Parts: sequence; structure tokens; C-alpha cells
Amino acid sequence: MTAQAADLYKELVDILGEENISSEQADLIPYMKDSYTALMRKAIPFPDFVVMPGSTGEVQGIIRLANKYRIPVYPRSFGVNIAGSAVPYAGGLVLDLKRMNRILEINEDTMTAFIEPGVSWGQLRKEARKKRLDIIPIGGPYDTSPVGNFLLTNITPYSTRYPADRAVTLEAVLPNGEIIRTGSQATRTGAELNPYFRYAYGPDITGLFRGSLGNYGIITRLMIRLRPLAEVEKNVYYAFDSLEPAVEAMKSVERLEITRYSMLSNRHLSLRIAAHPDELRDAARRDAIMAGLPEYQLVVGLGGKSRQVELYEEMVAEEIIPRGGREAGFDDATRAVMDEMTEGASQKVLRMFAPYAGFAAVIGCVPAARAKDLNAAIRETVKKYGLKDALSGQPLEPELIVIPYDRCSTVYVEHEILYDPLDSEGVQLVNNCLRECYARLVMNYGAVHTMPNRSLLRVVLPSYAELLTGIKKMVDPNGIMMPGGPYTLEEQLKAEVQGG
Amino acid sequence: MLAEFRENIYHCLKCGACRIAYPEYTPICPSGERFGFDSYYAIGRMEIARAVLEGRLEPGEKMAHRVFTCTSCGACEEQCRPAVGNRPLKVIEELKADLVEKGFVPANLRNFLKNVHLYGNPYQAPREKGGEWALGSGVKEYRGEEYLLYVGSEGSFDPRGQKIALALAGILQKAGVSFGILGSRENCDGNEVNRIGERGLFEALAEENIRIFKELGVKKVVTLSPHAYNTFKNDYPGLGADFGVVHYTQLIRELIAGGKLVPKKSPAARVTFHDPCFLGRHNQDYQSAREVLGAVPGLELVEMERTRRNSFCCSGGGGNCYADLLGGGGDRNPARIRVREAYGTGARVLATACPACAVMLGDAPAAEGLEGLIEIRDVAEILLEAL
Ligand SMILES: Cc1cc2nc3c(=O)[nH]c(=O)nc-3n(C[C@H](O)[C@H](O)[C@H](O)COP(=O)(O)OP(=O)(O)OC[C@H]3O[C@@H](n4cnc5c(N)ncnc54)[C@H](O)[C@@H]3O)c2cc1C
Ligand code: SF4
Ligand code: SF4
Repeated sequence: MTAQAADLYKELVDILGEENISSEQADLIPYMKDSYTALMRKAIPFPDFVVMPGSTGEVQGIIRLANKYRIPVYPRSFGVNIAGSAVPYAGGLVLDLKRMNRILEINEDTMTAFIEPGVSWGQLRKEARKKRLDIIPIGGPYDTSPVGNFLLTNITPYSTRYPADRAVTLEAVLPNGEIIRTGSQATRTGAELNPYFRYAYGPDITGLFRGSLGNYGIITRLMIRLRPLAEVEKNVYYAFDSLEPAVEAMKSVERLEITRYSMLSNRHLSLRIAAHPDELRDAARRDAIMAGLPEYQLVVGLGGKSRQVELYEEMVAEEIIPRGGREAGFDDATRAVMDEMTEGASQKVLRMFAPYAGFAAVIGCVPAARAKDLNAAIRETVKKYGLKDALSGQPLEPELIVIPYDRCSTVYVEHEILYDPLDSEGVQLVNNCLRECYARLVMNYGAVHTMPNRSLLRVVLPSYAELLTGIKKMVDPNGIMMPGGPYTLEEQLKAEVQGG
Repeated sequence: MLAEFRENIYHCLKCGACRIAYPEYTPICPSGERFGFDSYYAIGRMEIARAVLEGRLEPGEKMAHRVFTCTSCGACEEQCRPAVGNRPLKVIEELKADLVEKGFVPANLRNFLKNVHLYGNPYQAPREKGGEWALGSGVKEYRGEEYLLYVGSEGSFDPRGQKIALALAGILQKAGVSFGILGSRENCDGNEVNRIGERGLFEALAEENIRIFKELGVKKVVTLSPHAYNTFKNDYPGLGADFGVVHYTQLIRELIAGGKLVPKKSPAARVTFHDPCFLGRHNQDYQSAREVLGAVPGLELVEMERTRRNSFCCSGGGGNCYADLLGGGGDRNPARIRVREAYGTGARVLATACPACAVMLGDAPAAEGLEGLIEIRDVAEILLEAL
């Protein structure tokens, strides 16, 4: 340990106590990788310390020290982001926020929860259900944080019932060490008496943090929307033979403005959910399960009083059947698995990338009418690179998920390319293929990605990049927050954009 | 060989499901809850294993602490297998074996292994004292009775374990079961030694035990500890053992069902049951102990949130009952966490069916300020009182 590191350590101990700081390599190693870094093939240096603060005050103390010692900071809630966004690209401090796991309030009146970043979706669901509330269904795993999810933009089966964004107001420690509270929390009395309203005092500062991946500071408390548990909650599943009518059907259903959940997927994705990884490894079993799945599947979640749900079901069928959909005839076990998945915070979602854990997501948001072309472009690119399905050895068919935004005015289209990380040639091919997929998506379709990925930001207007990096510069004058990563908003990015 | 687990290691999703019980959504890993860093959860240990395989991490004492604080409770695997199909505990135990081979074992565990090697038990107790716990109880040394009662080290030498052993012996006597003990010939069963990865010592212990059992003509063994039950049942047959084995709760359940034992009253009103890892998760018996408790009139059995396959380990496995690598930690201490959970059910007795659990949980009520409010008891003690 250098003399400077030793001084920093002493000061960190004063704030956190020895048991919450470590510079042991064995403690640091697990923070240097997520399931995406394998694809990046970038060597991640050892951070200097991992620290586990327990309160906003401790986070603030750490950030002040980081500024004093000019040392990088990489916050993480559970670190499951699968985007390589929480690893310490330039060493420094990893801030593990798992200890901050208090649910400070669940308010039945405002249907909100006030949580710290170490609260998991599962923990929140469990407590919310005690008050006949629930989390708004999510796409990701239950053992991750709503705060981390919000910072990643929260990709989830949006539907007309609930706003795309669950965040209401928040408290954050800015990279310069100051504390900010957003929305109606911005005043002292607001924070105390009315922290429940997002749209206060001008531009939406809560929204500034959405998708910011830690660039603008560390969220220490988040007020998050919940939903009331309905008397009856039900999913209806429809099968389609081709993508275009399925997207059309999803659009028309969304425009009824009644859904609680809505997601379209192809059979390759459905297979991963329906089958246990051990079944996937068994070719005969895999083929048998696949044979029972429709080419495309649209699931629509409904909820309300029983009369309401009955009526909704009819209305949905009226939209779907004429567009070529038919009821999907799953067996009970498959239906149970699918239902569990759509509930959100389910173990079944973890199967999505199993058994090999290697996956690359190609994400683009476009108007619904473009989804089919986007899908064709990705499939063509995957074919061009000759990617093989690691399980069957056959040409790879990407998994497809289509999710509606705002009554399907836009669709979020995600293709997942699964691979075996032990096949290093395959990994290289996936990497090259991924790059070309994104180039095609952005250049040919104007598709939008929801995260501030630097390679994609290179094509935005200089003024846009300037605003993003300018805000960062203002709140982070010493550039301590997450330097060197693929999502870092720093001066360098502005130069890259201006240089074309 | 760790390298044989390459696929498991590289196919870890980094999803963290091994940290939280599903669908209870509660923390499940005792060492992770105790120390907090990812390196103390299966998710981090998988990464340590990967780094070792890739030569990025040199083994050392500090790293060994991260690995050997795993109690082999199996909770991570119980989450990971149905979700992802991986075997994190297998990887961790292979990592332990790798460290043992390279000579990096925490000092307390080294002592444990040394004592087992020298004395046949971790308490440094001379072998001839093996049967002293039973003096005056009428329990005899084994001479071809129907059952060999294998008491194990806690039952033989730990004062808390001895009480439980006596209770069990009392029950068997009341039921008229023909049984005997090994006394001075009893040797460590090796379950912990094996889980720690000291495979040479384990095999030596097992072979010696099998030899003694064969010499004495033992056909049926009933164990006090689920740890011994586990290794006799799952590891010994591969080494040539040909005896049958039951955990005592399984035998007692049969005795009650057959009318050989008739529980009358219970002084313990509201009881919650802590599933020992080596009875429950490792051998899927969640029922026997509950049925025994359920047969006691007036006893109300309430469940903790983390129960059966999602039971929260007391932190005594993997040799930690002796090495106590998870000790301290204030309210992050796993035994204290467990006692808090038990008390939260309204139960005034936390029952278990494992002397190691009883030892580990024993001090937690006082540390939690719950002395006199909740008591740790073994199923055998509760039943004997009701007979
Ligand atoms: C099988 C699987 C399926 C998934 N499916 C989905 C899906 O459908 N939809 C989806 O949205 N996600 C999905 N994910 C991704 C991811 O797990 C979730 O988005 C999850 O919510 C991330 O939470 P986390 O706590 O792990 O975040 P982290 O990984 O800890 O953090 C995410 C980002 O935010 C930063 N950060 C974290 N906490 C803070 C804080 N308090 N303050 C400032 N910055 C912070 C980190 O530096 C990082 O950049 C999936 C993951 C897996 C493994
Ligand atoms: S060990 Fe299993 S549950 Fe844990 S992170 Fe790896 S794949 Fe997920
Ligand atoms: S076996 Fe138990 S202690 Fe070990 S990593 Fe798994 S859950 Fe944690």
C-alpha cells in the first residue's frame, strides 16, 4: 500500500470501521467482472478498496475523501447489471451499497415506497404485498435493486396501466459531495412532509438520473411507485406465426389502454423460460418443448375486478383474433412458468441466459412498424457471421423481445445472442457481429438505445454530448465518478463527438 | 481438481440468486450476511475460483478466510440449481480442497484437522474418555445390538452435546430399542473433514470407521448428528461401507408411529424448528423432526420464514462449529440472525435436531438480549420431557 493509500485507508476506517473496508485481492476480484465483461475482453484493474457504507452520511464522507484524494468511485447496488457498467475501469473505490437495505416507508395512500439502494425487488415486493400493494412488474431478477434498475433505465414490459418510469423523487450524494433531493423533496418541508411528487420546480431532475448509471451521483434514497394488487390478475397468451401481425396485435391491444403487462417474444426466448437449463442440454427434451411453443407469443396481463377482467379478456380477443392470433395452448406447467415470469421478481427470468451465461443484447427502440425490419436486419447479420447455437450446433437464432412504450407509439426491440464464454473464437465472432448489428440499427433505422453507451453517443449532436458532459463536469469537477468506462460522461466524450 | 469445474465456473451468470431465498426473498448465505463483501457469497467465490484457475489470484491466508467461511450449508446451490442449473457449492468445496493441497487453511481449521488426526475428535479429548458422557445412564458399549448409536464428537465431548446425547439415549431406552455405543472406539465421522477438502484424512477416517463397524458386525447405525448421518449415507458406501443409517429423528418417528413411544404433555408450548442443513437440504428430510414435534400434545409448531429448503444455517458447518470463523460480528452474526428470526415467530423454544446447531445457537439468545425469552432445545430433549 502506498503512503497515500494508507492515509486514505485510515480516513475511511474513521468513517466506516475496519469491517466495512477491504483491499484484499480476494475481496476485490468479485467486483471486477459481470457477465458482460467477458465480451468486452478488457482487463479490469484491481480497485484500491471496496467499501460498504451504511448511510447517506457515510456515502457523503467517502465521496469527500474521494475528491480529496482524487480517486475514482464506482457505485453498485447488487452489480447484476449485465452491461459492464459497475466495474472499476480505472481502479479506485468500489462502493458496495448492499448494506443500505432499509425500506423507510411503504405508503398505501400515495402507493409509493421509500427505499435505500440495497433493497432488492424481492424484499420490496414482500413488504408491499403486506399492504395489498406490489412492485410494478419488472423484467430483471428479484435479487437486484430498484435503484440500480432505474439507473439502467429499467427495461421492462411497459403497459398502459403504469408509467414507464417508477421513480418519483430521490436523494443523491453528488460527486462533489453535496446532497441533492429532487422533485417535491427539494425543500426541507417537502422532504419531511411531501416527498411524493416528481414534477416540481422546473425541469425533471429525477429524470436526469434515469439511465445515468452513476455518472451524476450516488442515489441513497428513492421514492418508487407501487401498484395496487387487483382482485383478479390474469395473463392471456396468444400465438402468432409471424412477427408483423403479432406487433400489430400488440399495438391494437395497447391502444385499448387497459393492460397491466405486455410482451411479445419469439419461441427461442420462450424456450429458455419454459425449460430448465438441464432440459435445454438434452436435445430430445429441448426439441419436444420447442415443438409445443408458438413461433411468436404475445402475453397480455390484465387486472381489476372480476367483471372488469372478463370484459377486458373479450376486448383483447376481439383485437387479436382478426389479426391472425390464436390462444396459445400451453400445458399447465408451462403456463405456470410463464405466469411466474410475467409477475416480475421471479426466479424464472434467470433462465434467460442459462445454461451458458454468455449473452449479448442488441437493443433498439423504433416505431412499431419498424420492428419487423429491425428483426430481419439482426437475423441477417447474425447469419452473415455464421454464429452457432452453443446448445445444438445449429445456426443461431437470436431471442427476441418486443415491449411497448407509451401505448405502443414506440417499441423496445431486444435481440439476445447467446454464446458459450468458454468458446473464445465464438466470443470474438459475437463481438464483431454485435458491432455490426448496432451500426445497422442506428444508421439504417434511427434506432435508439436507452443507455449512454459511448460508442453510440459518438453519433449524437455535439450539443447533446456537451449537455451530458457539461452537467457531469459541473457536479463532478474532479472527474471521480466512474472514469474510463463505456458509459462514462466525461470531457473526452465531448471531444470524440466533436471530432466526428 | 478445480479445473474439472471450469464449465460451472464460467457459466455462472453473476445473477446473485445464490444470495436470496426464493420465493421468500430473504438473505440465505450465512457467511455473506456475516461479512458482507461479495467474496463471502457464492457469487464472489465463483469469481475467486475463476481467478485461481486463470492464475490471477495467488492463494493465501486471507483468501482462505473467504473460502473456508463457507459453511457448506448448500443454500446457494438450492437457489442456483432450479434457476440456473449450476453447482456453486461443488465449486467452493473444490476450491477448499485446492487450498488444502496448497497448504492454505485458516489456523483454527488447521487445529481442528490436526486434533481430529491426533485424537479422533476435535476436542483434544483422549479416546478412552469417549464414552464418559454415558456413565451412570445404563448405556452400554456396542456388542451386536440391533443399532449402533453413533454419538459423534459434540455428543461425546461438548457439555451441550452430551446433554442431547443423554436425552436421546433416554428415549431409546424408554422405547426398548436395542442399541450400544462405541465409547472409546468411536472416531470422528469425517463429514466436516471431507467438506473442508482434507480428502486424505477423510478417507483414512472413513476406512478406519468402516473397519471397526465391520469388525463389530454393525448392520444399522442411528446417528445423533445429521453431519454423521450425511457422510455415512452419502460418502461411506463408495468406500466399501455396507451398513444402513438413519438419523435419530427418523427412528423416533417410527417408534412413535409404532406406538413404542407415547408422548404425553409438553412443557414447551410454542416451538419453531430450525432445519439442520445436513438433515434438510443435503438429505431432503424436512419431515421427521416435525412429525416428532407434532406428536407432542400441546406443542404448537410455528414456522420461521426461512424454513425447510430455505432454512438459514446456524453457521456451524464446514468445520466452523469448532473453528468459529464466523464468530463475532455483532448483529450480523448468523446465529444471532437466526435466533432473532425464531423469536419473531412468537416461539419461546427454538428446536433443532443437531448438536452442532444447538452449540452454535446456544449463546445467541443472551447476545440478542433474549435470555429467558427464547430457549434453544434439541428435539430429543423436548420429546424426553414429554414421555
Ligand atoms: C437474467 C437477467 C435478466 C435481466 N433482465 C432484465 C430486464 O428484463 N430488464 C432490465 O431492466 N434489466 C434486466 N437485467 C439487468 C439487471 O439485473 C437489472 O437491471 C438490475 O435491476 C440491476 O440492478 P443492480 O442492483 O444489480 O444494479 P447495479 O449493477 O448495481 O448497478 C447498475 C448501474 O447503476 C450504478 N449504480 C448502482 N447503484 C447506484 C446508486 N445507488 N447510485 C448511483 N449509481 C448506482 C452502477 O454503477 C451501474 O452502473 C437482467 C439481468 C439478468 C442477470
Ligand atoms: S452461483 Fe448460481 S446463483 Fe450464484 S451468481 Fe452464479 S449462477 Fe447465479
Ligand atoms: S454453502 Fe452456504 S455458506 Fe457456503 S456459499 Fe453457499 S450459502 Fe454461503
